[in-house]
Amino acid sequence: MMPMLDCDAVMRQLWDYLDGGLTPERTAAVRAHLEMCDRCYPQAEFEKTFLRALAASRREPTDPAGLALRVRRALAARGFAPDRG
Amino acid sequence: MSRYALSLTRNEAEAQDLTQDTFLLAFEHWAQFRAGTECRAWLFTICRNRFHRGRVRQERQVATDDADLESLAAAAIHASARGAGIEDLFERDEVIGAVEDAVAGLPEPFRDAVLLVDLNDHSYEEASAVLGVPVGTVRSRLFRGRRLLQEHLIAHARDAGLIPPPHDAMAPNGGTKP
Repeated sequence: MMPMLDCDAVMRQLWDYLDGGLTPERTAAVRAHLEMCDRCYPQAEFEKTFLRALAASRREPTDPAGLALRVRRALAARGFAPDRG
Repeated sequence: MSRYALSLTRNEAEAQDLTQDTFLLAFEHWAQFRAGTECRAWLFTICRNRFHRGRVRQERQVATDDADLESLAAAAIHASARGAGIEDLFERDEVIGAVEDAVAGLPEPFRDAVLLVDLNDHSYEEASAVLGVPVGTVRSRLFRGRRLLQEHLIAHARDAGLIPPPHDAMAPNGGTKP
């Protein structure tokens, strides 16, 4: 049976919920609370936009293939010979 | 790996050097790798340690490891933002543009957790293996890092005039116009 959670319990678990770190039962309980709580739902949305902004700051390497080649050459120069099975 | 290196150095050329050094060190010290452990975590640990080598280590600022308290503090930040009418703060381009500098300015333990989990998609368990600390410590440092970031970004927005200072935010219509 799904546990009923109050606002305080949901606040304490909100980051874990957003990070996908709760058990399926606990995830369902938090989701059920958020769907009916006009205090906790806006906070969950606020934290989601924060996490999106954080992820948007991520920079990707511009030349991963070139870097991989460079690393392979450096390793080969040190004597690394990968198996070619 | 190269993305993690870039998130540490914030400079592409340095990130490439760091990535190469990581693999060369792993090759040289392959005998130290313990079979059965996570090789990816081992490489990330080498990368992180190599980056921090020779740098002035910041004093460990881990006064409390209570993740629950951090969660409740985050709720207080949201309540404050809601009261000031800035719930959309983290959707504004000016604020999003300030995130990278804010992350770089975090104290090291919190930056480590944020970089691994939020910017490099590691689970708490993977970050725990990279950093060599318990999962609960990763969790509390991550939550503290996020709270510090939110506080910093709100202060940044306030300094940039994007939101009114606290006392104006409380006044109806932002005060009397001349």
